[in-house]
Amino acid sequence: MGSETYSQVGKAQPQIDALAKATGQAKYTADFNLPRMLVGKLLGSPHPHARVLSVDASKAIALKGVKAVVTGRDVLGKKYGMFKSRRDETGLALKARYVGDPVAAVAAVDEETALEALDLISIEYDVLPAVFDPEEAMKEGAPQLHDEYERNVVADTHYDFGDADAGFKESDHIREDHFFMQPNSHGCMEPRGVLVDYDITGKFTMWTSTQSPFHVRRDTSRALGIPLSKVRIIKPHVGGGFGGKIETHPMHIAAALLAMKTARPVQIILSREEEISITRIRAAMQIHVKTGVRKDGAIMAQYVKIIADSGAYSSTSIMMMYNAGLSCMIPYRIPNFKYDGYQVYTNKAVSGPFRGHGANQPRFAVESQLDMIAEDINMDPAALRLRNASQTGDTTISGLNFVSCELSRAIEESTKKAEWDKKRGRKETNRGIGMACGGFVCGARGAGHTASGTNIHVNEDGGVTVLSGASDIGQGCNSMMAQITAEELGIPVSDVTVIAADTETTPIDPGTFSSRVTFYSGNATLIAARQVKSQLAEIAATLMEASADDILFRDKKVFVKGSPDRFIPFGELVKRAEGFGHGRLIIGQGQWAPTNTQFPDRKTKWGNVSGSYSFSTQIAEVEVDRETGQVKVLDVTIGDDCGQVINPMSVEGQAEGSVYMGIGHAFLEQTIFGDNGQMMNPSFLDFKMATPLECAPATMVEVGKPDPIGPYGAKEIGEGLLITSVPAIVNAIYDAVGVRIKELPVTPEKILDALEKKETEGKS
Amino acid sequence: MKRELELNVNDELWEVNVEPHKTLLEVLREDIGFTGAKEGCGLGACGTCTVLVEGAPLLSCLTLALEVQHKRITTIEGLVEGGRPDPVQKAFIEHGAIQCGFCTPGNILSAKALLDRNPRASREEIEEALAGNLCRCTGYQKIVEAVESLVGSE
Ligand code: FES
Ligand code: FES
Repeated sequence: MGSETYSQVGKAQPQIDALAKATGQAKYTADFNLPRMLVGKLLGSPHPHARVLSVDASKAIALKGVKAVVTGRDVLGKKYGMFKSRRDETGLALKARYVGDPVAAVAAVDEETALEALDLISIEYDVLPAVFDPEEAMKEGAPQLHDEYERNVVADTHYDFGDADAGFKESDHIREDHFFMQPNSHGCMEPRGVLVDYDITGKFTMWTSTQSPFHVRRDTSRALGIPLSKVRIIKPHVGGGFGGKIETHPMHIAAALLAMKTARPVQIILSREEEISITRIRAAMQIHVKTGVRKDGAIMAQYVKIIADSGAYSSTSIMMMYNAGLSCMIPYRIPNFKYDGYQVYTNKAVSGPFRGHGANQPRFAVESQLDMIAEDINMDPAALRLRNASQTGDTTISGLNFVSCELSRAIEESTKKAEWDKKRGRKETNRGIGMACGGFVCGARGAGHTASGTNIHVNEDGGVTVLSGASDIGQGCNSMMAQITAEELGIPVSDVTVIAADTETTPIDPGTFSSRVTFYSGNATLIAARQVKSQLAEIAATLMEASADDILFRDKKVFVKGSPDRFIPFGELVKRAEGFGHGRLIIGQGQWAPTNTQFPDRKTKWGNVSGSYSFSTQIAEVEVDRETGQVKVLDVTIGDDCGQVINPMSVEGQAEGSVYMGIGHAFLEQTIFGDNGQMMNPSFLDFKMATPLECAPATMVEVGKPDPIGPYGAKEIGEGLLITSVPAIVNAIYDAVGVRIKELPVTPEKILDALEKKETEGKS
Repeated sequence: MKRELELNVNDELWEVNVEPHKTLLEVLREDIGFTGAKEGCGLGACGTCTVLVEGAPLLSCLTLALEVQHKRITTIEGLVEGGRPDPVQKAFIEHGAIQCGFCTPGNILSAKALLDRNPRASREEIEEALAGNLCRCTGYQKIVEAVESLVGSE
């Protein structure tokens, strides 16, 4: 992991802004305030499906302190969205498609007045029939949410690689099973918000809690018909995203409109209730898996069918359904693979990207089924996985190419560490151990621009400023870029300032998603830092009469190789550089995207979408209480091939965070919908997440080797680990008490019911 | 009808003129300017708004400012003394217990109150004391380790 040749890479470091966060100085969107600022509030539809016929806001406007009301008639009706082919949002709806769908917004002098004004807006609706179940929504004659999508199928994704039928024929054993993964909230601790300042030149400046400022800029400009360059988005500290804050939200459009209308700054901060119920959730999926294996455990064919609940809008549907299928092909060699994915509109809260985007649900299904198959053919589940594990150099039948893959090692090392052989199958103790494997992209190739960029300026005193479009949402990418810069220039991390992201001053960037940031922005930073280095090395070489190739940067000094006494302090070199030649600045510019990827073929979906892939094994140990049905996760062991680790502290943080989140997903978390499609539990009192009391310690074993493409050989870890948490737990429960839960979340009732059923079956 | 309140926050007296139904969280953030206390839920379910009142953790989103007049209120900003962070703040930094940071002020203050009251807190006691401070990023492991590192260290 750590290497002696590196001064920074591989060394555990707190985040560069940890002190600001620990002392309350870090500023999040809600902490900003502008003179004459108004407070904005959104009004949601009370109906799951209804056309807005008329709006009477006169009473609201008449209320003292209310400055403006806007509705769907104030936006252009120009659709925006993450994917060009699936744009279906306008900001404020003229046709509401779920309970809470924002249809109007108000700006007032304070929150109380704004809330009072919402009650005074009267809207006449034409209530339409609604549909809440995706399978119902797919039927002929079901209420249609969006005119363009018959039977409400917004993503219709199919793969057919190899010959699945032939593969099943060659199989000695075939299983078909059905699974369900529940809808879920991201639960970011910071509810999202936006502050917009609109000036006399027509320019909007927005501070907002986002994972992708450039995306918000694009959508805002589209929805309001204003030039892109008239919108500036600044990302302050963001209190978590987990995929939920990638996209533009109606609050962005509403706040911009209100600011324009009132010529005053407007801030909208979502309440927790809104944060859970009118942003994004994880898509519930029905997953059908059919897998055929030979006696020796070799997977011969797999068929996966998924029906995903989209909710009212598309969000990243085509990407999510693509990912759901693709992610099935990563961890194991599957010679024949067929997939049918359908994402279907319903009149409920909107599904969107969530850490592990589309991969969590099929992973839960496939990994559960693999354990069932292992039992059927009397094989150890670890051996079954090892038998099929992907290897370095593999190209999958769908075109994914693995330039590095240590999955076999991950399985071997983690089972050793967890004492798998010793702990498996001790049913009498009510303790069990289970595993799951997975893999994930390091940034999927999108259509159009995917590169990231970094600019580095060296200041006169040797301090260094890094400008990047990457979005740190708490995962620590600013620290990653500081560490890489410090490594290259031989300076301490504390001498590096990172400015990111601001659409006006930092390079254009797609955003934080798809586990792309270390891979892309890390490499862009590396390129920029090496440019700075070579500019400075040239000058140092002249000053010290050496060859530029022999110049080394370390300990804030610039040396001639082999002569520790011949050096110039870094700051002094920068100063001397200023007067060099005609006087010069030291500036580095890097931009990077992998060159070994292709956009998947539109028809067949063949193509290598990511420069590299991470691989992981997760082993959970649980104890089940047969009396109460309660399950306690005791221990988790992780073998993760995330390549060369840049910051072990951050990597552990991602791993521990994934284990924690997986425990919540397995047992506690789920968004519940009422008869009208309305969310029933949009509060932290009712939407439960794990606390320290439910958490389990996670131990990581080192398995990764430097990847040939990632910066210093680093790969992703932020998402790929979460996808294996839930199936490892579910498999461990089976090992403990012999019950298989196929519908999440695992609740004490489900465990007790299954135990009872098992007992009666055993007797009869 | 607004009322004149006198609040003792971080060892300073603040006079504010606010509606009597304003919560302590609102007054701290909007009227005084200590934005370290965060509103994660506004309903007493997340702990991001935690402050100390007479050294004990209190959810400022559920507390009226008017109720805590003349009491010693400490926010995260008040733990810094002479430009130096408190040992609990330092431990959180050094142990990597901070990711997005939104839960951090609340977690640090709850930990501080625990350690002041029970400097030999066990792991279970730490977990229990922090159970009201949700964190979505870290998985709590490093938070608990940070607090554990201070147990019995004085
Ligand atoms: S904001 Fe006070 S407990 Fe959540
Ligand atoms: S660090 Fe993000 S919520 Fe705790």
